[in-house]
Amino acid sequence: MARPTEFQGSFLSRISIRRNQIVSMDVNHEHELEELEYFQKHVAERFSELITSPSPHHSSSSSSDAAAVSHPSDPILSIPWLQNLLDVFMSCEAEFKAVLSTTQISKSPSLERVLPEMLDRILKALDLCNAVVNGIDSVRQSRRLAEIAVTALKQRPLCDGSVRRAKRALTSLLIGLNADERRDRNSGGSGCSNQRRTTSRSWSFGTRSNVTGGGSYGQVVSKNWSATKQIQAMVANLVLPRGAEASGPVMPVYIMSSVMVLVMWVLVAAVPCQTSSVLVAPLPLPKHQNWASAAVNIQERIGEELKRKEKRCGGGGLMEEMQRMEKIGLSLMDFAERFRYPADEEEEVVVAEKVDEMEEICRGMEVGLEDLQRQVRQVFHRLVRSRIEIVSVLDQAPAI
Amino acid sequence: MAEFDSKVPVSGMNNHVFEACHHVVKALRASDNNLDANLRKLLSDLEMHLSTFGIADTKVEDAGFSEIKKRFKEAVKRIRSWETNQSTMFEAGLSEADQFFQALYDVQTVLVGFKALPMKTNQMEKDVYNQATVALDIAMLRLEKELCDVLHQHKRHVQPDYLAVSSRRKDIVYDESFVSLDDEVIVEASSHEDDEQISDFYNSDLVDPIVLPHIKAIANAMFACEYDQPFCEAFIGVQREALEEYMVTLEMERFSCVDVLRMDWEDLNGAMRKWTKVVKIITQVYLASEKQLCDQILGDFESISTACFIEISKDAILSLLNFGEAVVLRSCKPEMLERFLSMYEVSAEILVDVDNLFPDETGSSLRIAFHNLSKKLADHTTTTFLKFKDAIASDESTRPFHGGGIHHLTRYVMNYLKLLPEYTDSLNSLLQNIHVDDSIPEKTGEDVLPSTFSPMARHLRSIVTTLESSLERKAQLYADEALKSIFLMNNFRYMVQKVKGSELRRLFGDEWIRKHIASYQRNVTNYERSTWSSILALLRDNNDSVRTLRERCRLFSLAFDDVYKNQTRWSVPDSELRDDLHISTSVKVVQSYRGFLGRNAVRIGEKHIRYTCEDIENMLLDLFECLPSPRSLRSSRKR
Repeated sequence: MARPTEFQGSFLSRISIRRNQIVSMDVNHEHELEELEYFQKHVAERFSELITSPSPHHSSSSSSDAAAVSHPSDPILSIPWLQNLLDVFMSCEAEFKAVLSTTQISKSPSLERVLPEMLDRILKALDLCNAVVNGIDSVRQSRRLAEIAVTALKQRPLCDGSVRRAKRALTSLLIGLNADERRDRNSGGSGCSNQRRTTSRSWSFGTRSNVTGGGSYGQVVSKNWSATKQIQAMVANLVLPRGAEASGPVMPVYIMSSVMVLVMWVLVAAVPCQTSSVLVAPLPLPKHQNWASAAVNIQERIGEELKRKEKRCGGGGLMEEMQRMEKIGLSLMDFAERFRYPADEEEEVVVAEKVDEMEEICRGMEVGLEDLQRQVRQVFHRLVRSRIEIVSVLDQAPAI
Repeated sequence: MAEFDSKVPVSGMNNHVFEACHHVVKALRASDNNLDANLRKLLSDLEMHLSTFGIADTKVEDAGFSEIKKRFKEAVKRIRSWETNQSTMFEAGLSEADQFFQALYDVQTVLVGFKALPMKTNQMEKDVYNQATVALDIAMLRLEKELCDVLHQHKRHVQPDYLAVSSRRKDIVYDESFVSLDDEVIVEASSHEDDEQISDFYNSDLVDPIVLPHIKAIANAMFACEYDQPFCEAFIGVQREALEEYMVTLEMERFSCVDVLRMDWEDLNGAMRKWTKVVKIITQVYLASEKQLCDQILGDFESISTACFIEISKDAILSLLNFGEAVVLRSCKPEMLERFLSMYEVSAEILVDVDNLFPDETGSSLRIAFHNLSKKLADHTTTTFLKFKDAIASDESTRPFHGGGIHHLTRYVMNYLKLLPEYTDSLNSLLQNIHVDDSIPEKTGEDVLPSTFSPMARHLRSIVTTLESSLERKAQLYADEALKSIFLMNNFRYMVQKVKGSELRRLFGDEWIRKHIASYQRNVTNYERSTWSSILALLRDNNDSVRTLRERCRLFSLAFDDVYKNQTRWSVPDSELRDDLHISTSVKVVQSYRGFLGRNAVRIGEKHIRYTCEDIENMLLDLFECLPSPRSLRSSRKR
């Protein structure tokens, strides 16, 4: 933690200076190794901060002190946890640039091969960021629907009228949360939104209602764009460096790419975005490598969640708050369907608790989603900067 | 409660007593925390007693309550009748709508009345209350539908005819060798042409104003019944969809960053053109009207109006921002300058509108995003502009340009520069703080226009200076001094003509033009000297012998043949310049030759003279015509 991770300046200048220096190969390589080691340690530490319970794969030595700074109260995939994840990503990114600045591009043709691949991944990550920003808007819509249900179910005495109103909001909410595919969308449908979608208006835009259910947050990136496919394309040429390359400058590029892909994968799993509902295949992270173990652990846990959700319904939208919202939403829906006026007093108390919990989630989302969205935009801009810097490094590298 | 109670007519003495008892009991129960169990029991017994009494009584006597019940039943019936009715109340007529709102008011009155009373009323009252809540919910749902349908049926679009964006128009085509930008293209490629029409549509209505009172009535009713959230949700949904649909009408496709980076130049050029138009229409016309609509309908609830407006516009705004961000990822190729310039220009222009659309904290992220994008576009445009000069400087040739004509680099650069005066303001602000060496450093002499000393003017002159050095280097490739002069003359002349005949004139200034005319005239002199002085020297006789004269005449013919053979393949595309050259050459050569023959023809003897003066005069006209091969066609002139 002693080293500055907030290295913001252009590492380009450092590179060009270094390139003109006559440094002995050995000294240079030694320095590179140090940098690499530090970078790996940084990634390992920061990622283990994100896991509350120690992982079986985890080598405990390096993470013990880091655990002190963690936020054990944030459950995995919750909005605060996702925010931490993005913080971790940003800090790894800054560290990566520092590492890269010490390498000599002109002396490493392999680096000249992997950097363009990384640029390509960054580009895809940019689109994913945009899709996630939009996906967060659809979560915000879910929140608004949940609030309608909360308002309705807070009415006392609880009557058929407010239950009807709540039921309508819950139906849209559950469709939006992708939870209730089998439910006929017309049943108890709201006055216009559902009816409008089912009556065949000529201006329905493709398949977007399938994407995020009730929301009109559909093709946001471009036609035929798919978050799942982007992730797959990002890992397609991501190969663990072997032999001499494993200790060379290609390694940090590989690590950073893996981190980036993982973070994007988590975002896409957490936030519903264009065609992210298809189960995303696990990423090929090297379990045995120290830096990756915490990341692998995170991935496995989310992978399990994903499988569970997939079995139940479409998958996608694993955000912890959404899942809780869905669970409460389903039980409230259940209550609403059984409801007979006048309300049973005991049941009224139980429902009131659930409604309070729902309200609590909504309140948390109100600020949290805004902040998360802002942070994703920040990641976007950070990646744009990195891309520009890598491009200029490649431009400056003399042709071999 | 007051409202409700006032509608209960009091009838008969008994009723008074029952009412009073009822109220006392209710009041006691309402504050029953401190009552002991016995008293509570007593009260509830009494209450039961009274209520059965009450029902019986109502049936017989209480015309007041039954009046309310009747009204309530009618209200529910009216609301129910609209539940499945697919047409809108608006279509059905104002009285229909009024009756619906009256029915809603009646239901609401019942609800308010019950709510004001303590909770433990009798079963029948409870049922009425429950029915009322259902009726209210049905009414609200119906109004939600009404809102959506009316907004949808009466929406108005900014006329798409006026917005036709011909994204397919070609302009600058990128070409590594600068070959592509030719004179003809420029005629088509002037933008800014649709601006006037856009301004006509400022604040056009998105919805027919005739429906506004109705929609406001819906809003007020739903807000009064605490159905504000469903109202907003429905309103946002319809308006969002309308905007989305409008974006489709404008053919504003969504592109991913990957798309934008892979797109070929022509498609991207079209998409960028479209963006500049659409961004303007959306921010200056559509969203301004949308905001107005939100304020008209929800003006009494300011923060809700703002929140709805942002929710409606956010998605479209983000898609426009994303395209801008993606475009900035492209490398700064010179051919993109004009598009970047127009994108930057629009992005700077709409900032005022964006600030008006999102003035407060709620919309700050969108506002800031636009400001940042504009900054990014500014940087990217400046870089592209500066790279243009680098590209010119690094354009190297290995072989001399055929015929000494106008090099494609010259054409490209000058035609390119001709596009820029349209963006004078933008360029001046972008280049303000970027120093450049200028050939006209100070305000001196004949130039008085301030535009001649603007940052843009200095940069443009500097670009042309770079072009000139590049041309000088290309000229060095010619072995023939005369051809070198022709080449420079042609290119400088072209530059001057382009500047003189366009808006560039105000920027480059008269001094620049004068200097450059002088420069190509020097080349004309150089040409004449290097081609003709040695040849014409042959015609200067100094009392030579016949033999020497014959030899001189022969040498002249040979030299002239040689010039003819070469220089008919040279090119002077500017006809005026070519005519001038023909005349001045003709004057010198034919006069000298005529003098020479006049003095010596007899001594030399006719058979030793190959060309007459007329031959020479005619043949000189063939020079610089860029003929495909050395002519022997004119052999008829030979004897």
